Amino acid sequence: MNLAFLIQIDWNKYRPENIFGGQVLERTPAGLSIVFIIGIGILIGFLVLSFFDNFSRPKFIFERNLPREVTRRLTQTIANRSIRAWQFVFVLLAFTVYGFQIYWTYFADESNEQFQALAYKDLRTRRTTAANLRGWMLDRTGSLGSALAYYKLDSDGDIGRSFSLEREMAHLLGTERGTPGLERTLYRRLADPSPEAWEILTRIKRKEDEQKDVRITIDRDLQAYIARQLDGKKGAIVVLNPQNGDILAMYSNPSFNISEARNLEDYLKLEGNKRDKPLLNRATREFYVPGSTFKTFTMISAFRAGKQNAVFPSYPGGFKPTSNSRPIVDATQKLSADGSVGGACDGGCQEKNITFAYKVSSNQYFAQLAIELGRERMRETALMFGIGGVDSPEDALLQKFFPNILNTSSPAIASALAPQQSTLVTGKEISLFDLGLEGMGQGYAGQMTPFQMALIASVPANMEGKLMKPRIEADQPTQMFSQVLSPQQAAAVREIMSTVTEEPGGTGTVISRTLAGTGIRTGGKTGTAEKQAPLYDERTGKLQTVKKKRKNNTGQWVEYDAPVMYERTDSWFITIAPLEMPQVAIAVVVEGGGFGARTAAPIAANVILKARELGLLGGQYKAKSPETPMKPKKTAR
Amino acid sequence: MKNRTSSHVFILVLVAVLAAISHYAISYGGLIRGYETSWLTAVRNIGLLGILACLPVFLKKFARFEGNWTVYTSAILLFAIGLTIQYRLFSDPEYISQRDKAEARQEKIKTLQLHYIQENYSAEKKKMMGLPATPPSPVDLSAETPRPSIDNDFTTVLFSGKTINPLLGILGLIAALLLLKRDRVLELLQANGFLIVLLTLGPLIVAAITSSAGKSIGNMTPWEPAKIPFLIGFAAILAVLYKNLARTYWGVPRAKDVLPLVFMAMLPFVPFFVLKDFGQMMVFSGVYATLYLIAVRRFSQRFVLVGSVLLLVGILVVGALPEKTQERIPLLPTLARPVKQILPDRIQQRFHLWLDGFNPPTPETSWWKKDYDDYYKKLVAKDPELPQMLEEDPDLQRTINIDAWFDVLAFQPAQATFGLASGGTTGRGLGLGYPELIPVADSDYIFAALAEELGLFGGLLLTCALIVFVSAGVRIALDSRDMFSKLCSIGLAAFIGFQALVNIGGITRALPMTGITLPFVSHGGFSLITSFVMLGMLMAFSHRNAVDRRQNNVQALP
Repeated sequence: MNLAFLIQIDWNKYRPENIFGGQVLERTPAGLSIVFIIGIGILIGFLVLSFFDNFSRPKFIFERNLPREVTRRLTQTIANRSIRAWQFVFVLLAFTVYGFQIYWTYFADESNEQFQALAYKDLRTRRTTAANLRGWMLDRTGSLGSALAYYKLDSDGDIGRSFSLEREMAHLLGTERGTPGLERTLYRRLADPSPEAWEILTRIKRKEDEQKDVRITIDRDLQAYIARQLDGKKGAIVVLNPQNGDILAMYSNPSFNISEARNLEDYLKLEGNKRDKPLLNRATREFYVPGSTFKTFTMISAFRAGKQNAVFPSYPGGFKPTSNSRPIVDATQKLSADGSVGGACDGGCQEKNITFAYKVSSNQYFAQLAIELGRERMRETALMFGIGGVDSPEDALLQKFFPNILNTSSPAIASALAPQQSTLVTGKEISLFDLGLEGMGQGYAGQMTPFQMALIASVPANMEGKLMKPRIEADQPTQMFSQVLSPQQAAAVREIMSTVTEEPGGTGTVISRTLAGTGIRTGGKTGTAEKQAPLYDERTGKLQTVKKKRKNNTGQWVEYDAPVMYERTDSWFITIAPLEMPQVAIAVVVEGGGFGARTAAPIAANVILKARELGLLGGQYKAKSPETPMKPKKTAR
Repeated sequence: MKNRTSSHVFILVLVAVLAAISHYAISYGGLIRGYETSWLTAVRNIGLLGILACLPVFLKKFARFEGNWTVYTSAILLFAIGLTIQYRLFSDPEYISQRDKAEARQEKIKTLQLHYIQENYSAEKKKMMGLPATPPSPVDLSAETPRPSIDNDFTTVLFSGKTINPLLGILGLIAALLLLKRDRVLELLQANGFLIVLLTLGPLIVAAITSSAGKSIGNMTPWEPAKIPFLIGFAAILAVLYKNLARTYWGVPRAKDVLPLVFMAMLPFVPFFVLKDFGQMMVFSGVYATLYLIAVRRFSQRFVLVGSVLLLVGILVVGALPEKTQERIPLLPTLARPVKQILPDRIQQRFHLWLDGFNPPTPETSWWKKDYDDYYKKLVAKDPELPQMLEEDPDLQRTINIDAWFDVLAFQPAQATFGLASGGTTGRGLGLGYPELIPVADSDYIFAALAEELGLFGGLLLTCALIVFVSAGVRIALDSRDMFSKLCSIGLAAFIGFQALVNIGGITRALPMTGITLPFVSHGGFSLITSFVMLGMLMAFSHRNAVDRRQNNVQALP
């Protein structure tokens, strides 16, 4: 009858799952492990106690009455002394060996460099990342329907990561090996993915969703659209919102499929493709000569210095910064080998003000303007844009990334997306001729990324003349990088930029023709730049080489294969729209695209149309029904 | 706490209860990852511990055992920890399956992912993924169907080596205890010391002939049993010789006294050079040195041994050091070259893994070239353009070398070290870590598995249990009246103790990794049986001490 109460007890209440909290499954084994450890510890304690009980050795009868000196010299005593010494050594050794376990647990992470460097070889991290699902990546609309990265049951019934724009966003998302991208950095881990037993036990709440879904600023449709625009071309497009720094779309062609990069062999093939460099993000990590688009930068410098009213003449024989230097000529002029100049100046060889010079893209004007502004002012403006102002051409070759320009919630994201820092040489070492060339986007200004050019375009486009830090996370508060212009100056620069696209005679009028009837006013600048590039065979895709001779270090002439270089004409266009309150700042570069107005500008016009269709330009410009964008036309500059 | 049988039985029963708790934790951990653990194996393990817990009662009653129980209890405690970790490993489908490892792994990952999705994803998200649209809710394990365990057949579980070996061990323990209790047997052993030593050679020769790397008949290591005759023989010889050695002529003992010792000293090096087993050499020579230093009284004679051992070890270590380490000291590479040529490749590998394990050797290194070439060939077979790419980009070879190193030779030690480091203070919890990533973690690398799931505390418990065991052995040696049983007891304690230290040290990288087991803890055949027999012998000596004490009517003086 005493046992009857046993039946009445609800034994289920005492199941370990319920004691340790069934909400978190891991708590039960973790708690039981700790019980096991403590229990065994107590038992060992008991054993030690039982051991100390008879610690001193009982003496045998024959030993009892012996004098101490004799006892000390007994074989028994000597051997026992050695045994005790041995025991001491053993205990010492045992704890030394155990000390190494402490080292690996606590200190190796920090002090052992090789251990840190090879931590990626730990299969455990792969296992925990595989089991802990990442969040979903949503585009700027934030709806699950337009997720950019998500999970799906695949045909084998396994859960696999899928991407809706696998090729179009490959550079942004990044691969699991090689340079990290958003995929590897966007989802912050708040807690250790595999905590220790006591941490599991003391965690109070239910396991939280640690890797929450993230909304990014990319517009899925726009991204897909700009990727189509570059089909069959090499180049990059960057679309920013100048008001808050949102990266609306960014694409670099040729691209790759993320699934291709998953296995090693295909990845090595991508890496080994030196002709197309599909892994290279041209938008942020490839330098181009910006050409005339860089005149925007010189113009902004002039506004900052208060020299916007400067008037310079154009010379039929070109402009010579110093009496014995080569002349700087306009694009319409031709400099022959003997130094004579043929052809007429851009917009006629008369005195020009900044508006007219910008509209007709006068090289001579902007070369003179840059020299007038001087090295210091150019450098100061460069720093405002995050361009590295370096002293000597050698310093410009030290390439580094510039994560500080980005507005991100964690340094990891910033360094994953960080652009290669563009540079402008402004030291005393370069001549006035070089400075003049820089003013028109040639020479030592030749290390600009498309991303940087989009930033330059976004400053006048910003209503307050600020450079907003570009951001990729939609929920990140906006940040300013620098106050480059005053609001009034920004408005003035915008007006000047609009002459290029809107006034007859401007170099980018193809834009206004494409946008005719939409009511969108734009501003922009074309650019055309030559760059030396290695030549690849069209059919085989192999680098073309010629045999050349050079002296090796022992002084003998040896033959070697020199790559054949050819002059590639890159096509540039930067634009902002709509002019009253710009919502997009676009930079387009097409490698080998010829004149800026011919290839890059029509693409930019199409992107503006698409942005309008998607409602990115603001409600008042939204089309009633989606229109088909114009095909790029061949237009004379 | 007095040395009462009842209190030790009580402790042992508690050990069995704790083992039951840990087995439950492991099976629950298995359910979380979507597999079932074998309840039959769990019952068998607890049953074995139950038998071991009751054994003292019978030994007391029928064999009239009077000795100290501490040594027995601490050994069973180690055994219980070992059974727990083995259960953890052997119930993991990824660990045991040979062919469908990847499939088992994928299934485990998928279970965890589905749990996460069920707890966190909204109905809309689940629907988009193609799963039934249910609101986020806690996981109910009882509603799931885990992957069934393969160990559910009564006969395969009960008649496998994992059951029979411990039972044989228990029988061996009882037999050793009953035999060595008798004075007649001990006298016989003591008198025929040299004959017994020759017995040692038997298993060693069998091992050398039948096996590569010293392992034959599955996981059986034939020279494990050789420890016992080696020890008894050596103790018997020393028990006679130690007096003669004290008698010197012009400071030199007689040749007939020295020669047996030299012969004994050679024995440990047989497994080293024939079988390329570094660990057994360390253990055997450690025991040899222990007994010698305890028995021999003259300082000069002790110094001869210590000096020569240090010299030999020094030469070996210098020869086997990685080249990078050697180059730091002038002249050392020149000195080490002849040693290096004698040393087997295996030893050099082990030393490199020990001192420079995270740093792959260059592909030209003699003992690494073959493995590297094999790996490289496999890569080339997959991607024929690789050699050309290597020509263009020499850095690629470094990457391939690192991959090869961590996929081939350094895989097991590196994963073990990562596991050890990931354990933290209390470990990840039984069933919650990833010791199944370490290949063959149940024998040599069991300490890494323990450290991963039970952490620093687990390691400390094991170390403490070991120290208690060895101290109890030392205690028996201290109490012994005659030199032979004194040397035998300390030798037994030293064998178990050194073997454990060499094993743990290999995993914590305090020593080079060697392929020997952790006594009582590791899953093993001969090694487990031998350990139990040695435990029985220790208990027999303890019993004899107690009887001696009673007959002499000695009492501890205040």
